[in-house]
Amino acid sequence: MSNILEKMQEDLYNGRAEEVEAAAQKALDKGTPVQEILNEGLIAGMDVVGRDFRAGDLFIPEVLIAAKAMHAGLEVLRPLLAESGVPAQAKVVVGTVAGDLHDIGKNLVAMMLQGAGFEIVDLGTDVSPEKFVETVRAEGAELLGMSALLTTTMPSMKSTVEALTEAGLRDEVKVIIGGAPVTASFAEQIGADAYAADAAAAVDTARSLVA
Amino acid sequence: MASNKTKRPMLKYLSDSHIEQIHEGSLDILENTGIKVELEEGLEALDKAGAKVDHQTGRAKIPSELVARSLETLPRKFAYAARNPQKDCLMEPGGQLYSRTAGSPDFIIDIDTDEWRAVTVADVLEIYTVMDACDGISILTAAFAQEWPKLGRDILMLREMFDHTDKHIHLRTDTVETFPHMLEMAAIVAGGKEPLRERPIVSLLEGHVSPLRYIDVMVNALLLCGEYGIPLEVCCMPMAGSTGPVTMAGNLQLLNAEFLSGVVISQSAHPGAPLVYAPRPMLMDLRTGFSLAGSIDGEMAAVAGVQMAHFYNVPVSVHGQWSDSVLDDGQSILEHAYTALMGAFSGANILVGAGSLQETLSISLAQLVMDDEINKICFRALEGFAVDKERLGVDAIARVGPGGNFLADPHTVQFVRGERFTPELFYRGSVEGWVEGGRKTFRERAKDKARTILKEHKPNRLPEDIAKALDEYVSYAFESLEK
Ligand code: B1M
Repeated sequence: MSNILEKMQEDLYNGRAEEVEAAAQKALDKGTPVQEILNEGLIAGMDVVGRDFRAGDLFIPEVLIAAKAMHAGLEVLRPLLAESGVPAQAKVVVGTVAGDLHDIGKNLVAMMLQGAGFEIVDLGTDVSPEKFVETVRAEGAELLGMSALLTTTMPSMKSTVEALTEAGLRDEVKVIIGGAPVTASFAEQIGADAYAADAAAAVDTARSLVA
Repeated sequence: MASNKTKRPMLKYLSDSHIEQIHEGSLDILENTGIKVELEEGLEALDKAGAKVDHQTGRAKIPSELVARSLETLPRKFAYAARNPQKDCLMEPGGQLYSRTAGSPDFIIDIDTDEWRAVTVADVLEIYTVMDACDGISILTAAFAQEWPKLGRDILMLREMFDHTDKHIHLRTDTVETFPHMLEMAAIVAGGKEPLRERPIVSLLEGHVSPLRYIDVMVNALLLCGEYGIPLEVCCMPMAGSTGPVTMAGNLQLLNAEFLSGVVISQSAHPGAPLVYAPRPMLMDLRTGFSLAGSIDGEMAAVAGVQMAHFYNVPVSVHGQWSDSVLDDGQSILEHAYTALMGAFSGANILVGAGSLQETLSISLAQLVMDDEINKICFRALEGFAVDKERLGVDAIARVGPGGNFLADPHTVQFVRGERFTPELFYRGSVEGWVEGGRKTFRERAKDKARTILKEHKPNRLPEDIAKALDEYVSYAFESLEK
């Protein structure tokens, strides 16, 4: 691996977005294949971040800053990635369900998914089943992530799953749900594909669902 | 003459200059960053009072002079009245400490199986019954059954609460539509809107969204509580690291600015409306993202929040008995003991949290009973002891002399009662006695006490005519909600 990519990994780990961006450009200028920069610079860098986060050595804000740096590098590569036919990232629609304004967990999950390389369409809070369905369809999303923190708003997750079925989209999209009062058995009961207890689990689950 | 009582212990973190810095920083935030207000009536009240309001964006910038004016009209002293006037709780800065339970748990630890499960209607009635029976708990907070309908469950909750306690009732409400109905119900029990204003037998806690966002429900609560003269706990819970700065001081400063903006909205619309400062500084767990409740850091910040309340000379509620534990176990007991003692020593008026677990997501009857005991320990610790000539007993010591004993000395007989607190749930005997008693742990003894209460305690029910009037009102309220 080139020195540039090695240094890029280190900068990414430390959340230095400008350096990562410059390194991506430099590597391209030197003729490094775009796929190599992506895999051996950015993705490999994020893998180290993920490993240390899981080990408890890195904190969430540090992971989010690293993810930002990765995205700065990715922006440089994006036009070339499209040209060279590298498959686009899987799209995830996320939102907090109707009647619910709690968004800290949802934001965290969205940021961590983004850091893991997913493309995020964030619908914010108080999102109706219709809005979820419409967006999944319009965006061709592979995943739908819903968050609820109130027992009074959890039923809206069920309505959304039903609305997806009615719209004929249920087989096109995998549904992950989470939030403090949500449980794995509730997920099963309403026909969601998965439940995740926290943001890190949401990333692992999302990865396994699109694999 | 000097009092023979020892001093009230007062825990303080902030120096006068720290308090000044936090106050100045809060004013800067309100004047220059401002707040977002998502209800037009709130913006109008602010506009009229002299804030710089942009009705398009909902942004309001609040000049320091308006903050000062609003602080002046805040009442310093009012009651959390009770249906039974003997159980009134008087709120005044530096006054007596009362305990209230935490709000709206969703889950309960089943007393027989230890299973973590949804709260049912039967649980709600048991929860209120145990809360009512515990004399270390003065104020009851709402609990909801998951079986109740989504819209109007707060109305059903209040109906049951009125029938299960004659202590002060602290409300939770879900919607802008249901809250006026709940206030009407309170007026029925109090004997009218004016008697309710004089003796508010209910109060409310409501919060904005940190940072600095006043959603419709909160603005509505500030306005309606002002209109009815119902005390409102202004709940400020920025979470260090996510919805607030990660630093202790920065998060506290944001929290304080948020409290002040609540004061301004409330007092601009209804000068003299009773407010309670409710600092609930939260922390994001940096490894999982969860919000932390039982952390020592959070309790330290809350104590500092109480100091800010004292600086503004307003009544204050503090969280004590908060825990992150998922079970009523050693962790929850430890967390509840230190958060409660620190909260009690802060000089707050209300200690919040009895019975709660996972912050306030779940509840346990055993924990309620244990927390009743923790409350009594806190009250005892605040009470202190007397130091005077009689109690010092130089004569008695002379009488007994070196090598004697005090067992049956007149001084001992004179003071054998009243010098000590005797806990109810602690086992302090021999190993043999403990084995003979069935090797019961602290937790099992708490469960036994909760079961006994459920068997024996009879709450003071509502008089029949009032119960009937309430039922009629509840039917009417549901009809109008359906429309
Ligand atoms: C897509 O896949 C996935 C996968 C995983 C997912 C996921 C999605 N979403 C989340 N996860 C998971 O990943 C994250 C960790 O990595 C986790 O996310 P969480 O969202 O669980 O965790 C966050 C990172 C941190 N946690 C939080 O942000 C929630 C913390 C607590 C204290 C909380 C807060 C902060 C707030 N609240 Co509210 N609040 C409480 C909460 C108590 C608690 N212990 O949970 C809870 C949830 N609130 C409650 C209530 C009642 C309310 N709140 C309300 C308001 C608020 C604030 C605005 C003050 C604030 C929210 C600020 C915001 N921007 O979100 C009101 C409702 C407003 C509304 N319409 O939504 C109000 C109704 C109170 C009122 N009367 O005003 C309770 C719900 C009880 C019930 N009966 O349902 C509550 C349990 C506290 C309580 N007992 O009173 C996991 O769950």
